Amino acid sequence: MSAASVTVLPRRTPPTILVVEGDIRIRYRVSDELRAWGFKVLEAGSAPEALTVLDAVPVDLLVLALDLPGAGGWDVVRHLRESPVPTKMIVTSGETDLPDNLGPFVRKPYQAAEIAALAAQSLNWQPPPQA
Amino acid sequence: MSTSSTHLSAEADTPLQTILVVEDEVLIRLVVAEYLRECGYRVHEAVSAEEAILILQAPEVSVDIVFSDVEMPGDMDGFWLARWVRSNMPDTQVILTSGAERSADIAGTLCEAGPLMKKPYHTQEVVDRIKQLKATAKRF
Repeated sequence: MSAASVTVLPRRTPPTILVVEGDIRIRYRVSDELRAWGFKVLEAGSAPEALTVLDAVPVDLLVLALDLPGAGGWDVVRHLRESPVPTKMIVTSGETDLPDNLGPFVRKPYQAAEIAALAAQSLNWQPPPQA
Repeated sequence: MSTSSTHLSAEADTPLQTILVVEDEVLIRLVVAEYLRECGYRVHEAVSAEEAILILQAPEVSVDIVFSDVEMPGDMDGFWLARWVRSNMPDTQVILTSGAERSADIAGTLCEAGPLMKKPYHTQEVVDRIKQLKATAKRF
């Protein structure tokens, strides 16, 4: 079978997304939007919380605010790079110049739907039809 | 896709009740919040009383029940949050809890009174799940 003939079917089981964001006003909006798209969403308000969740629960994708207090966001990036299990990541920040090898980057301020659309694309997820 | 479409429960036009879970232990918070979502509630999560107040003050958010741990780091514990809610949002119900077992029991009671009027699974499974995750997470 040639590579060109392979069809990737959309996933049926909702992927799990961990939203790591120190600003609760951003975190709940993004999490709500992702849930509306049918994802299973976990929330962490800091790097230590994110690392605890990553140790305990399999996660398909991380939405990571790099601008957590201290060096928090980069602590999470280092943890993911050292992990034997690759985890996809969408990075957000108010900064403008970031390394381009971290994955998709969304600059703050952003619309929660931007993150949801990127996550759906990254995870090959077809959101359920609106009620 | 807007989240506004999710604000109604499956049963007719009954507004979906919203619970704010305030808990500084992330593994307890995520398991209890997930359980309450499976019971049919809309659930927001806050790490601290300070975060809880930011959500409660957001104009687009309407919280029916604040479900808060008593013990939280900092000057603002669950009792402080309960007093703040009673002073500023007297129509909002406050439920204070402490520990995984008590939180699971209260979540189970909320489920029986909630939109689906049944528990998705036994509350002992909530406690077991929290214990299992804590054992798995080396950093907890």
